[in-house]
Amino acid sequence: MIRDKKIDRRTILKAGVAALGSSLSGLSWAAQDDILNLGIISQQTGTFAYAGEIVYKGAQLALEERDGKVLGKKINLLARDDEGKPAVGVRRVTEAIASDNMRFFLGNFSSAVGLAELEVARQERVLQYAAGGSEDFTGARCSPYTFQWSAHPYTALRATLDYVHKTLPDKKKIYTITADYAFGQSLLHYTQVVAKELGMELAGNDNHPSGERQFTQYFTKALSTRPDIILLLTAGADAVTAVRQFNSFGVKTVSLVGPWTLEVEQMRELSPAMLSGMILGLNYYQDIDTPVNKSFVERYLKANKSMPSYAAAYGYDSTRTLLLAMEKAKSVEVEAVIKTLEGMQFDSIFGPTRIDPRTHQTIRPYYVVQCKKPDAMKNEFDMATIVAHSDEQQPPALNECKRPA
Amino acid sequence: MTSLLAAQLLNGLAIGMIYALTAFGLSIIKGLLNVPNFAHGAFYALGAYVCYGAMQAGLSFAPALCAAFLVPALAGAAVERLGVARLMSGPYLYQLLFLFGTALVLEQVIILVWGTVGLSAAAPDWLQGAFDLGFTYLPKYLVFNGVMAALTIAAVWLLIERTRLGSQIRAGIDKREMAQCLGIDVRRLVTAGFALGAGLAGLSGGLVLPLLGASTTMGSDMLSIAFVVLVIGGLGSLYGALAAGVLVGIVQSVSSVFVPSASTVLIYVAMVATIMIRPQGLFGER
Repeated sequence: MIRDKKIDRRTILKAGVAALGSSLSGLSWAAQDDILNLGIISQQTGTFAYAGEIVYKGAQLALEERDGKVLGKKINLLARDDEGKPAVGVRRVTEAIASDNMRFFLGNFSSAVGLAELEVARQERVLQYAAGGSEDFTGARCSPYTFQWSAHPYTALRATLDYVHKTLPDKKKIYTITADYAFGQSLLHYTQVVAKELGMELAGNDNHPSGERQFTQYFTKALSTRPDIILLLTAGADAVTAVRQFNSFGVKTVSLVGPWTLEVEQMRELSPAMLSGMILGLNYYQDIDTPVNKSFVERYLKANKSMPSYAAAYGYDSTRTLLLAMEKAKSVEVEAVIKTLEGMQFDSIFGPTRIDPRTHQTIRPYYVVQCKKPDAMKNEFDMATIVAHSDEQQPPALNECKRPA
Repeated sequence: MTSLLAAQLLNGLAIGMIYALTAFGLSIIKGLLNVPNFAHGAFYALGAYVCYGAMQAGLSFAPALCAAFLVPALAGAAVERLGVARLMSGPYLYQLLFLFGTALVLEQVIILVWGTVGLSAAAPDWLQGAFDLGFTYLPKYLVFNGVMAALTIAAVWLLIERTRLGSQIRAGIDKREMAQCLGIDVRRLVTAGFALGAGLAGLSGGLVLPLLGASTTMGSDMLSIAFVVLVIGGLGSLYGALAAGVLVGIVQSVSSVFVPSASTVLIYVAMVATIMIRPQGLFGER
């Protein structure tokens, strides 16, 4: 008994650690009052290592516009590396919520990572501003805590194929080559929907595994069906390789079209001659003619000596929108900001923009560009011309979001 | 259907020749050193980047391809002389680790010089476009790739089978100590063999540049395929890699007709099947 009551060294140590812990957490809570931590959970290592840094640079410009403050609080950007892996993304978000009281974050624009983070956001009641090509963000897995910045895949396919249909009316037979994961399948689904709407014929489809480096066999197979158009429903490094290898066929009678295939970063990996004339669908292109975008491009170019891309625009525009909503709500509480964002109408880099109150889809245009001939480029960034844009929304009957209106 | 299969066979043959060329280099090094060259993928990537660099500097494609062979070959010789040779007396694991480290260093050097963004170079004009075979198109460059790889392999075969140096290399691979007793400078032989193997990897990298571009991950992509080819061909067989390379290319290409999304997995399935049914590989003796 006596021995039990004796305070030994270990107990003192434990008590000391506990006391230190509580005082530390007290400190961080005190600091929360005038600091707002905004998470940039993105990729800093791996194949898309460039993306994390660029999203961050974009977000930084949105902060600079308001001297890094909102409602008197200093905004702190928390950059965390999710390595492009869903499990790591979930861990980073959970950690940042626990250790830094992060209540708002921008995710990875890889759908697989973003959708995994969506569940954490729902559980922990923090706001996720997502990007990515999966329809699930605003469809089957829609959540009160997640907003989607990227256009809906329906909008993307509709804008791209509408343009193809109008400018190349004789080209009706489409062959698709699709990435075998959520993003590619989403695009394929809406290709089928839109092709039917426009009276275009689908000659066949091949799914390719992620990380494919050899596409000539797919093109050999596709070309044997004598299509008018090969629609590439893949992205990233796979898409770059595919475009390069299609070029080696030199088949001028078949058009290669990429509705959500190459972002500016990937276009830079290809030589202009390989891209010349190609029709691409883009979430963002630097030439968008709106006051907010013009000012953004000018400042981005000055700060980074490069033109902004999808990743940069996502970082900037979604951060800017979040801060606008906080100001409008006069609060940095998640629930209040969500309420304000739902149905909010504002000027974004896309011009007048609205957020669907039920699905949280940003109602904004999707852009179709045609790549320039090498001798028509004014500088290395001047790669394409915007030829069309459309904000045609997904038909409500196709939306699987179960949230009440 | 028949014409489609024929088209895929041709396509697979052309791709397979590149796999064969890369794995052949790996096979030579494996034979001489009895160590799997983990830096082989890095030499392949180096070849692609050097080829790109040479073309940017204004060289035409042919000399750029020579550079794609020479620079990795010299780098290979240096790696062998300065590292692998010194570790010969130590445990096998040291050489393995050293080569693994070399791969990482080479990869980082490539990133430092050329950056992380992938690069593209177009094939010369006369190699652009495709042959219209009626039932399909066959890119001229793909044909060129296959033919170049075949010619290179033939040249190396002549070197190994019909020259004095070649017979010494074979002696070094088969009975190293005996070769040494006969007064062959095995040390120099190993350096030459390593340089040749690394050079062949580099040449493959240069050859695929117009098709695959140059990217920082290309080395590890190819390394795994080259090992699959080596295992299927048989680790003890110098030429097994050639047949296995073509086989892997054809499996990959033809399977895309039936189960396209499994075409990558299938080559690993083929490897596992080989290990289980014939552990010494298709042409291995040991």
